[in-house]
Amino acid sequence: MLGSARKGYSTMGELTAIGFKPGSSPLHRLDPRTKQLVLMALSVTTLWADVPFLVVNSMVMMVLFHSAHLHARRLFLEIRYFLFFLFFVFVVRAVSFSDQMFPVITPNEAAEALTVCWRLLLIVFMGVLLMSTTRTADIRAALIWGMKPLPFVNERMAATMVGLVVRFLPLILFQANEIGDAMRARGIERRRNPLIRLIKFTTTLFRRVFLRADELVDTMQARCYSEHRTLPELSFSRNDIIAIGVGILVLLSAC
Amino acid sequence: MSIAPEHKPVSIIETSNLCHCFSDGTKSLSDISLTFNTGEFTVIAGANGSGKTTLLRHFNGLLFPESGTVSVSGKSVKKDPMAARKQVGMVFQDAESQIVGDTVYDDVAFGPENLRLQRAQIDRRVSQALSDVNLTGFEERCPHHLSGGEKRRLAIAGVLAMTPRVLLMDEPFSNLDYPSTCTVLSQVVKLHEEGHTIIITTHDLEKVIAHAQRLVVMEKGCVVRDGLPEEVIVGIEQFGIRPPCSVQLGKGIQPWVN
Repeated sequence: MLGSARKGYSTMGELTAIGFKPGSSPLHRLDPRTKQLVLMALSVTTLWADVPFLVVNSMVMMVLFHSAHLHARRLFLEIRYFLFFLFFVFVVRAVSFSDQMFPVITPNEAAEALTVCWRLLLIVFMGVLLMSTTRTADIRAALIWGMKPLPFVNERMAATMVGLVVRFLPLILFQANEIGDAMRARGIERRRNPLIRLIKFTTTLFRRVFLRADELVDTMQARCYSEHRTLPELSFSRNDIIAIGVGILVLLSAC
Repeated sequence: MSIAPEHKPVSIIETSNLCHCFSDGTKSLSDISLTFNTGEFTVIAGANGSGKTTLLRHFNGLLFPESGTVSVSGKSVKKDPMAARKQVGMVFQDAESQIVGDTVYDDVAFGPENLRLQRAQIDRRVSQALSDVNLTGFEERCPHHLSGGEKRRLAIAGVLAMTPRVLLMDEPFSNLDYPSTCTVLSQVVKLHEEGHTIIITTHDLEKVIAHAQRLVVMEKGCVVRDGLPEEVIVGIEQFGIRPPCSVQLGKGIQPWVN
């Protein structure tokens, strides 16, 4: 968690690779409802899709990342903790034990485990693409639109909660990086017990995040925050029809 | 001699015997009774922990009194905090923490959207507020990519878009370099000239005192001095506040920048 010094890491100005970046790429110009719809459809399909679909999906992802000016290296750096999780998933799925209780990895199980990790990684990348190219306010407005027909759901509150998570996930990641840097500057790496390092890191992070949340509440209240706010105006365009068409084609490749 | 009605000062914020305690029991404000008039430029000075920020938060309805009252335009802030917040805008010390939008436009539009204005009206207000703080053309920029001075001006724009009558600013010059301080200062002076009521808290009088009409000094949660800056500033060191250089050199209060 508090590993060696990182190169070219984000400043407050850059925040993190995860989070909205203003731009004019085709994805930026799409209606958020279209993006959410395609994301959901592709995510569900990805969960059970085979390798050919994953290849097609990965290629589409690469094109979209390039057009949205997102750098793969920065992104992998940002999601490094998730990569640890994927490694854990791989080990759990791929390693089995022989009769003598020796751990063994068969090619078939390894391939299957890799496919599972690939699927999960693609879903995360799709989420990052949505967050990077869609304003939080637009995500919230699209969620309110989508949840409105659902009974017993306070769509505004639910959308606000999702919006806050999307908006402040990059800030929390930034805080984590800052705290990591500050601890390394005071020689935390000399502590050999990883549990102590983890406790010091997480308690400081939680304290900072809660303080930040308090500050946020104050600043939002000071500007008359209300759940019933004026929503951004959403409108479908020809680009959305094309995007849905491309999404359907990609989905068909799973068949 | 009677005062002509148009010259009669109109109070906008009033506190009466305001007391406040923190949750640990520490008394942060004691018996504060102040009146702020429309169009007034007031500086509230005091050392760290003197209660300046806590006092500001009462004006904006972010805190409520333990005892005593705070009213804005004659209405109790405790009874109707939303009404107070519409009239009294607050710029926080940490401009970064005030950023809630993904773009400069979104951030400035946050307040008017909360007021449930029509989109066209929101656009007009955002445009005007950004123009007021010389940030026109920054609409699609990421707020986190702005410089410290620009972020502070963005925070001011975010408040101006709500068209408040009073502008509260908590240490508006902290962490700013010389050019940014000059820009923010000139914006504040301009806003006052346009008729806004300005209340600024600071522990550093140097930059702003020449423009203020009133100086309130706080110490340990109490108001210890209140009056014209040139009168109040004499002997102000005793309250942990550094007098401006010009005052120390015996030249009286002089503007920080020409």
